[in-house]
Amino acid sequence: MTSIGTGYDLSNSVFSPDGRNFQVEYAAKAVENGGTAVGIRCRDGVVLAVEKLVQSKLLVPGSNKRIGTVDRHMGIACAGLIPDARHFISRARTEASSWRKNYHTPIPVSSLSDRMGLYAQAYTLYSSVRPFGVTSIIGGMDEEHGPTLWMVEPSGVGWGYYGAATGRGRQAAKAELEKLDLPNISVEEGVKHAARVILIAHGDNSNKDKDFELEMTWVRAADPAAAAGQTEGPVKAMGKHEPVPKELVEEAERQAREDVKGDEEDEKMEG
Amino acid sequence: MNHFPEAWGRPRDDVYGSYDRSVFGHDAAGPTQHTQQPIVTGTSVVALKFKDGVVIAADNLASYGSLARFNDVERLRQVGTHTIVGASGDVSDMQFLYEKQLENLIIAEDYQEDGHGLRAKHIYSYLSRVMYHRRSKMDPLWNVLLVAGWDDGKPFLASADLLGTTFSSPALASGFGAHLAVPLLRRIAPDEASVANITREQAIKTIEECMKVLFYRDARSMNKYTMAIVTGKEGTNDEPDIEIQKDVSLKQQSWKFAEKIRGYGAQTV
Amino acid sequence: MFRNNYDNDSVTFSPQGRIFQVEYALEAIKQGSAAVGLVSKTHAVLVALKRNAEELGSYQKKIIGIDSHLGIALAGLAPDARVLSNFMRSQSMSSRLLYNRPIPVSRVVNAIADKAQVNTQHYGRRPYGVGLLVAGVDETGPHLWEFQPSGMVLEYRGTAIGARSQSARTYLERNFESFENASKEELVLHGLKALRDSLAQDKELTTLNVSLAVVGIGKNFKLYDGDEVAEWLEKLGDTTSSRGGGARPSAADAPAGGAPVTTGDTEAGAMDTSE
Repeated sequence: MTSIGTGYDLSNSVFSPDGRNFQVEYAAKAVENGGTAVGIRCRDGVVLAVEKLVQSKLLVPGSNKRIGTVDRHMGIACAGLIPDARHFISRARTEASSWRKNYHTPIPVSSLSDRMGLYAQAYTLYSSVRPFGVTSIIGGMDEEHGPTLWMVEPSGVGWGYYGAATGRGRQAAKAELEKLDLPNISVEEGVKHAARVILIAHGDNSNKDKDFELEMTWVRAADPAAAAGQTEGPVKAMGKHEPVPKELVEEAERQAREDVKGDEEDEKMEG
Repeated sequence: MNHFPEAWGRPRDDVYGSYDRSVFGHDAAGPTQHTQQPIVTGTSVVALKFKDGVVIAADNLASYGSLARFNDVERLRQVGTHTIVGASGDVSDMQFLYEKQLENLIIAEDYQEDGHGLRAKHIYSYLSRVMYHRRSKMDPLWNVLLVAGWDDGKPFLASADLLGTTFSSPALASGFGAHLAVPLLRRIAPDEASVANITREQAIKTIEECMKVLFYRDARSMNKYTMAIVTGKEGTNDEPDIEIQKDVSLKQQSWKFAEKIRGYGAQTV
Repeated sequence: MFRNNYDNDSVTFSPQGRIFQVEYALEAIKQGSAAVGLVSKTHAVLVALKRNAEELGSYQKKIIGIDSHLGIALAGLAPDARVLSNFMRSQSMSSRLLYNRPIPVSRVVNAIADKAQVNTQHYGRRPYGVGLLVAGVDETGPHLWEFQPSGMVLEYRGTAIGARSQSARTYLERNFESFENASKEELVLHGLKALRDSLAQDKELTTLNVSLAVVGIGKNFKLYDGDEVAEWLEKLGDTTSSRGGGARPSAADAPAGGAPVTTGDTEAGAMDTSE
């Protein structure tokens, strides 16, 4: 790595002669060490999923949640340093609440990710702070745009996505997401795909022998009739962010394990 | 408490005389003043416990002085899963409480997703603190609030007012209802023990009766109201059933008897 | 000697994305004596080993009550734990004053987690140098949480922190399946046995060096200290480590000087905060 030993990577907010901010790049490294997180934008909602690695069997199963709710209609799934993620989500809640106070309406997802981009960016400007060791996937629904999905990186950069992946298994996850016909699937289908993508991403990295829990949430049209009546284009409605029902997660995981196993056997046959 | 919300919590002018502003000397502006009176007001809220829950009702009128200014105002609000709050007094203060404070409170509570939620006694405690805090800032929220719901495995009913005073009883009414409805309610609910003998139907009937009497006698009331019925499962804090009936009309109400009263209607003599 | 340039403050990431100051703070926990926590369906228990600096000195307090339904055990810098416990107490009081509700355990834990995280992101601050076990009971039952200076908090069925705590965790891992339906007495004894396993070869559990606390559904947080511990030690019987042949060397016992070095160490999850 050309950065080490140059002295340009020892402090935040310092450019190297070729115009890079190494501390931000190192923060991105912290993200690469975190469990995989994915987001899928569907026709009638958004699905968020994380690979929660279980470090000890003494941990309480199902506790220690990693996806946070912001206002009522958005969720944030993060990869990277978990305490930083909690701070980041907490700030997002403050932004959402302040928007509500000022405008008496829920904050649009695009505006929230915009503001969170600014917040992350501010932590790249000063030597007195370090950047967030977190990349966050923000998913939600609002009345104007329907379901949308955003990803904000430690640098403050933020893009809109149909399918987003970050964390350790992001390469494999991205490859899987690209095969999907997004955003023209339903959230129910999205849940199944998300489970499979996380499973494949998990198998693709060095921690594949470790146990993990699949945590999944969705944001779907609050009014199911509005979603059902529509056959094409995104559903323009408000949504609610909540955990995917346990039975659905278990079923999706079971099916995903079968699919992945089937694929592996096919490969063996061909090989 | 009467049906002049502007007089709530104030020394009565007819007893103590009007406030002597000369104590401020020649400084005409006097001290900093906050809310001195409500502007647009809602009248009574009435509520009664029964064996398995609580019934609470408030009409849909918002008055501007004696002018019936708005006739579609919702003064009951569900807060979380276990609670209905009813407000009389200043409508803008009520809207601030409902749409800003309580809305944010519930959104923030839901963030935790940890199996804990704010039930009736928690919401009531919170509102009491807010009311007392504001009166201590000499900037009160000009309301009397009734909090009805389900907690500790039994019905919950209590009130908090603009002075931060808190009070609990099996039957409560604010505003003019404190004078007119409470005696009617106490006929069937004289004490906490009697609640066990009151059925849901009885409670609803009694509240309907109160709303009718109030409409006849309270000049700031109207004949359309909202009624909420909270029904819980005894001994548990499971989510209670909350039925909210909107745009309810008074039953068997008629002004016919008044036709012979002098000064009413189209009499010319 | 190779000098690590990335460990001077908590606002500098190493090229691998690690924050060494935070990792060093985690080492501070291991300088403290061991504390063990565990939960059943009805109770949560804290057990801790106290140290005294000198023969004539008193023993350092290891367990602090926060509220009637909640308490902590600490390992590491005791003054830092006092600051955190004061904060937890005020959070606890606020909850009772504002909502008339004993604070849910997870919320007070998350409050200190958020507080600790800020110290890892700003220059001129240092991370807290203490680990906590938070045991309490709320409407969703008994809970045990571990707090780390990184701002990481995790809920456990049983865990241990502090010097030689790996041995205690090994005991817990072997026995945790029986915790759920254990009685209060059985749970305390499991805790003492786990703590006993963390003892050095020539040491034993005594009424002087053991602190113990129990909280249950409908039962207030109760701290047993000094002579009050005697009854529990009697029930335990053997107060010396049952592992025989002295302590195995474990990661937890490594001296602080053996702190992580940067070069080539790209082991995923080396920093506990990134899973």
